[in-house]
Parts: sequence; structure tokens; C-alpha cells
Amino acid sequence: MGAVGAAAVAWPLINSMSPARDTLAAGAPVDIDISHLDEGQQIVVLWRSRPIFIMHRSAAELKPLQDPQHDRVLRDPNSEQFQQPDYAKNWHRSVKPELLVLVGICTHLGCIPIFTPDPGGNLGADWPGGYFCPCHGSKYDLAGRVFQGVPAPFNLPVPPYNFVGDTMIRIGENPPGSNYDLSSIEQL
Amino acid sequence: MANSTKQNPLVRWIDYRLPIFSFMAHELNEYPTPRNLSYWWNFGSLAGIMLVIMITTGIFLAMQYTPHVSMAFDSVERIMRDVNYGWLVRYIHMNGASFFFIVTYIHIFRGIYYGSYKSPRELLWMLGVVILLLMMATAFMGYVLPWGQMSYWGATVITNLFSAIPIVGNDIVTWLWGGFAVGNPTLNRFYSLHYLLPFLIVGVVMLHLIALHQHGSNNPLGIDRKGPQDSIPFHPYYTIKDMFGLAVFLIFYAAMVFFWPNALGDSQNYIEANPLQTPPEIVPEWYFLPFYAILRSVPDILFIPAKLAGVLAMFGSIGLLFILPWLDTSRVRSARFRPIYKWFFWVLVLDALALGVVGAHRPEGWWIVIGRAATLYYYFHFVILLPLLGKFERPLPLPVSISAAVLASHRRPGTVASEKA
Amino acid sequence: MMRRTLIAGGLIAALVVAAAMPSRAQEEETPTPPKQYWSFDGPFGTFDRASAQRGFQIFAEVCSQCHSMNLVHYGDLERLGFSPEQVKAIAAKPFVNGKKVADIDDEGNPIERDARPSDAFVAPFANPKQALATLHAIPPDLSVIVKARAGGLNPLFGVSGPDYVYALLIEGYANPPADFKPASPTSNYDKYFPGHQISMPPPLSEDRVTYADGTKATEEQEGRDIVTFLAWAAEPTLEERHRTGIAAMLFLVSLTGVLYAGKRRIWSDVHRDEHDKED
Repeated sequence: MGAVGAAAVAWPLINSMSPARDTLAAGAPVDIDISHLDEGQQIVVLWRSRPIFIMHRSAAELKPLQDPQHDRVLRDPNSEQFQQPDYAKNWHRSVKPELLVLVGICTHLGCIPIFTPDPGGNLGADWPGGYFCPCHGSKYDLAGRVFQGVPAPFNLPVPPYNFVGDTMIRIGENPPGSNYDLSSIEQL
Repeated sequence: MANSTKQNPLVRWIDYRLPIFSFMAHELNEYPTPRNLSYWWNFGSLAGIMLVIMITTGIFLAMQYTPHVSMAFDSVERIMRDVNYGWLVRYIHMNGASFFFIVTYIHIFRGIYYGSYKSPRELLWMLGVVILLLMMATAFMGYVLPWGQMSYWGATVITNLFSAIPIVGNDIVTWLWGGFAVGNPTLNRFYSLHYLLPFLIVGVVMLHLIALHQHGSNNPLGIDRKGPQDSIPFHPYYTIKDMFGLAVFLIFYAAMVFFWPNALGDSQNYIEANPLQTPPEIVPEWYFLPFYAILRSVPDILFIPAKLAGVLAMFGSIGLLFILPWLDTSRVRSARFRPIYKWFFWVLVLDALALGVVGAHRPEGWWIVIGRAATLYYYFHFVILLPLLGKFERPLPLPVSISAAVLASHRRPGTVASEKA
Repeated sequence: MMRRTLIAGGLIAALVVAAAMPSRAQEEETPTPPKQYWSFDGPFGTFDRASAQRGFQIFAEVCSQCHSMNLVHYGDLERLGFSPEQVKAIAAKPFVNGKKVADIDDEGNPIERDARPSDAFVAPFANPKQALATLHAIPPDLSVIVKARAGGLNPLFGVSGPDYVYALLIEGYANPPADFKPASPTSNYDKYFPGHQISMPPPLSEDRVTYADGTKATEEQEGRDIVTFLAWAAEPTLEERHRTGIAAMLFLVSLTGVLYAGKRRIWSDVHRDEHDKED
């Protein structure tokens, strides 16, 4: 009986440390208008204090993503690890191929990778374009899939999102039929 | 001193009701201390004084600091610019953390060298490791409070570590943060806990001292006191020696505070925290560098991912300290009489320093190799070397008694007492 | 014992120096700024008041176009040697950015008014987004900039923040390499800026300002003056710290001497006993 009493006293204190109602409310879904997002461009928005990369991929940028040669340099080319909802478990890791939505936090130690879409350049002739993390050198392709031989262990996570109309996406809300929760992924 | 206190009527009145005076008289005058303690024994009292300095300066800083993400950085700068002597209190507190760790690390290495953790002082030692853990938690949270770039990103990296725990990891991290990332709830609770933990440290320090006084201090020879000829009263001999040691220590401490107050810090922390801009290097304060090196040097091991393995190795390195009394099987306490162990002690010191240097650099190239070798050596030293050495090492003959050894050294200069360490 | 302690101390010092060596690839590309000598260097350093006042003039007429300095108040300028009347006049005249203090009138409506000594330096932009929209970059606040770069103010060794800022401003922009490609239309080459692409165009040049005290405004002079002012802005209490430190050191050294003598005296009977017991 003493243990029950002690637990009853402890629980409210412990639970008070979990996110409060206003914190949760600040994490409500955000609507982003992508009508002015040109091909090859990316915008970064904040949802739940996290940077969300929204990129408009051109056909030229999508083509290399399906190349089996390219798959070989990736750690998890088929997104086997649970870092994305079912509706993004495909070769373009998104709802519609031309629009990429990722949580912009490196899965190594939490830095924000730099958008480096142009092939070649400082990262070498066979850099296909993607994201480069300045902290410890992790690299991801233009579907957020992590390369082999870099410190980051997982692909960049995909947040829950849904199209509300053709040019508006709502970050933080799943399409009907899915109850994907970002906190259930392998690792942010 | 004992007589004069007993004659004063006010002292007698108080002491009859609350025996603090006779308690102090006993602990200072009658408490037997080995006569041969070296200056390596000053560091315990220095640590205690640092605790008092940190709490005092901390309380005065707390009167002026605002723990909100939009005001924390500015409130610290206000302390530096506008609060009378605010710059002084802040710099004393900031450098005090470093000096607290310096004296504590030396105090710990002293214990390792002279076998102060051996029976009957195992609990004394373990209480000390608890104090070390509380100090590390306190220092970590304290560094977040100025809300600079290193404050924020260091907090992000280290709290993210808990996501390595299988199944419940992500939920624990959300609970720790009080939100979806390090933010205002995190800053506030760190402030609250940073204020609380030092008082827990005070409590554990008291237990540490009670345990110490049970059997008294160890000494450089590592042999027990045999009788009154081996000891001297703590007061006035060690009170004056501690005061002298304190004065020397203060010279170094004051030099840093007044002339190079930011030398041990990271200049990046003078940039206000920006959640959308990661600094090029995320480096903890110097006293955490060896542990940071261990954390980052462990690769995937079997089915354990590198991140979890690194966390386990890091906490494990402190866990090993806990069980040190049982890992070291030697019956001889002091390294003075353990010729092989003595060399490996210095290898351990070098190893700790090497880990510190590795922790300051990016984990690439040679740094990874050195980091892994140093981590392996650390574990080898405690898990394999110590248990074996105790069995196979032939120690030098121990002196008959402390006083005999001290006398012998006076008769023949260049022997035991003069050849220190 | 002494020898071993010295060896150990030497090893530790060597390792500390090794730890301080930077390892990032960026550092190898970015040259080390040359060491400068500043009036505020060393334990006896002070701020050259005349230089700092000229530096303030540069801030008011050049830097404040884009940079804020939110942690410095107009009244703080008295610590630089300006009189209260001068400070009032300085506050009332907007910086080159022309902005005044946002306030509300008696009916609660937003207005702009002249600054008072108790106000902080008026910033050029209301918020970072406004700066970004206007300049395509966010100029950092300059209140503690020299403490936030390189080794900060008065490091034990290595490059100091002031050295870095001076090099970036005065030497860094010259001679861009032939193959330099600006990353954006607003990028400039700077030798000392990590990545070499800095959004700030060269702010200083010969006679960019006309000094109130008549000093010739060469580019180097302007650089030294603005850095001296920035160092003061970063830590106005530096001189008090140095003064107090010298007094503290003198006190502590004498205290140590006294306590050492006391220790030897108190311990003399213990050591004498040990001698006496010799046969």
C-alpha cells in the first residue's frame, strides 16, 4: 500500500516534466504554400522546433535516384529501416515524386545538413547532389538516403505530411488512413 | 584551543545544548592524522573549498540571471556589464567549475596511486565517485544556462544520447526535453536542477567525511597507523598546511580569473544559441573531453549500434571506478611499494590526457585510432591489468611503521620519505 | 619527486598545446591571422581611450548601417571618456542607419523618438528577417563579436578575436585568387573568413570617415580603432578586472609567503622530534 501511495505521489511530478499543453499546441500542424517553389529549390520551415526541408525535385534530379549503381553507395537504399511513413516508403521517399519533405536533422548527432544539390563540385566528381553535414561529414542523396562510410547511421526522417490541395502541404498531419507518429521512428 | 573554548561560558551554554564546539574540538584536535601526509593530500580540502565558492557565487548569480530562452544570454551579459562586480562573480563561477574539476581529478588520481580505495575505505571511495557523477551532471546543466551556441548544441548532442536506449529511448528524450527539442522547458528545468544538485553534493560530501573519519586518512606509505607515534593532531599541523596549499592554489585560480578568464572556455559560446545554425565543431568543456572521446571512439559492436555502444562505454568508464576496490587484488596499498603498478599508473595518467586531446578533435584519421587505443587501454587497465597485477606482482617490503619509516629517512637522506612518489 | 612532477607538468603542457591545435580542414585552408599588439593585451592592458572613441565614430558612421550592438547603451559611452552632455548629444543623433527608438505615445500608438542615454544602441533592423530581406544576409550583432571569434579576448595562446577581426577587415579582402567564384551575387572574397565567401563588402577604406580628433584615417588606423572599440564594447570592465587582479595577486603572493612561514614554524617541532630521535 505504501508503494501505491508513493507511486501516486511520484507520478504527477514525473508527468509534469513531459511536454505541456502549450508546448504541444505550438507543435500543431503547419500549412506551407509551395506554389512559388521552383524546381531545384528548397525551403526550410520550422515544425515542432525542427527544420523541415521541402524541396522541389526536377526530373533530372529524380532520375539518378533509381539507378542501381547509385543504390550501391547507400546504406539503406530501400528504406528498410523505419525512418518514414508507409506512404513515403518508395524510391523517392515521398508522397509525390517531385516534392521531397524531410526532417533536416542529421541522424548522427543532430546537426543540420547543408543543401548541396549540384553534382560534382567540392565533394568530388561523383557527388550526385544531395545533402552534406558539416559537423562530421555525413552525406545524403536527394531522397535523404544516407551514404555508406559516413558516421550517420540512418536515412533522414520523413515527417508526417499531407497535401491539402495541389500547392499546399500540411506538415504534421498524415493523409487519411495513416496514423504515422514521428516519435516512433528508429531515430531522429 | 580545547581548553579556552571550554572556559568560555557562552560556548559552554551552546555546547551543552548542541555540541558543535566539542565536536569541532574533537575532529580538529584529537582526530589522529598520519604525520607523513604529502601535499597530494591537500586536494580534498581544496575540493571542499571549491564547492563552497561555487555555491556562494552561484547563489549571487542566480539573483540576476533569467532562465528564459529570450533573456538568458542577455541577462548574463547584463551581469558582466551592469551588475556591480558581476563580471567578477561570473568569472569566478565560470573558472571555478574548471578548477573544481582540476582539484577533483588530482584528488582521484592520488587515491588511485596510494590505494586509498582499498579496505576499509571502499565506501569512502564509492561516495567519492557519486560526488564526481553529481559534479558532472551539475557542470553539464550549468553550461547550458548562458544559452550560447555551445550551451544549446552541447545540450542537444548529449540529451540525444539517451535515444540510444532501446524501445523507450525516444520517449525518454522527449520527457527530458519537455518538448520536441531542447528549448525553454529544458532550460528552466536545468536551472532548477543546477541549483538543487550542489546541495545534494554537500550531503554526499558530509557522508564522505564521516566515512573518512571512521578510519582516518590513508598516507603515502599505505600502511596503517600503529599508534600515537605515527600521528599528529589535525590542528594546527594540517590546518596550516591546508591554508598554505589554498593560498598557492588561489594564486593560479586568481591569475586565470583576472587575466585569462576565457582561456578555458569556447569562444563560440559568446554567440547566442541558434537552433537553425550548427557550429562547425561541437566540443564540450575540457573536463568532459576524455569521456567525449570514449563516447565517439566505439564502432558498431556485434548487434549493438555504435551510438549505444559509445554511451555504454562512456558510463562504463565511470562504473569501473565504482568497483575499483574489488578490481585491484593487491594487498599492498601504496604504489610506492608496487614497482610494476607504479609504471602503469603513469601510463593511465597519460592515457587519460591522450583521451582528452582526442576528445577535442574531430573523429577522423589518426584521432580515431588513438581514441580507440586509449579507450581500449583504459578498459584493459581496470578489467584485466589490475586483477592480474595483484596476483603476480612482487611488492617491495613494507616499512614496519610510519614513524619508523620517517625516522629512517631522516637518518639517511635520499631514502623513503625524501624519495616521494 | 620534484623532477617527476616537472616531467609530468611538462607532458601535460605539451598535451594541452597539442589539444589546442585545430584539426578541421577549414583551418588548413584559412590562414592564421597575424598577431597584432593591442593596448588591452596582457595583464596590464587598458583601452586606448582616444582610439576607442575614434572606433565608436566608425561604428556610428559605417558599421551601424547593417550591424546592431544591442547590449551597449548610450550611457555606457561615459566609461569611454565622453562627458554626460556629449553622451546625451550622441544619443539624440541617429547613427548612419537613421533609425530612432520605437516607443508608444500617450495614446498607446507606436511612434519613433530620439534615443536617451538609458537606451541601447538603436539597431538598423527590427528583426533578422528584415535584415535578410534587405541585405540577403544577417549581419551578426557586434556587442561581443571579438569574444565570439577565434580565441576571444586575451587568449593564453593562439589567435585572438581582435587579431582575427582586424585581419578580416583590413587584409582579408585584398587579392582574391583568379579562380574565385562568388557563391551568390552578394558574396565577397575574404582570405580569413572560413569558406572565403563573406556577404559583407569591404567596409573600410582610406578616409572612409573624417576623424573628429584630426587623426589621419588610413585603412589600418580605422581597423585598429574599430577593433579597439569592439574590444571595449565586448568587455567594458576589462580595466577594472586587470586593476583588481594585480592587487589580488600581490595580496595572494604575500599571503602565501606568510602562510608558508607559519607552516614551517608550526611543523618545526614535528621535524625536530624526528631529528631528535636519531641516535
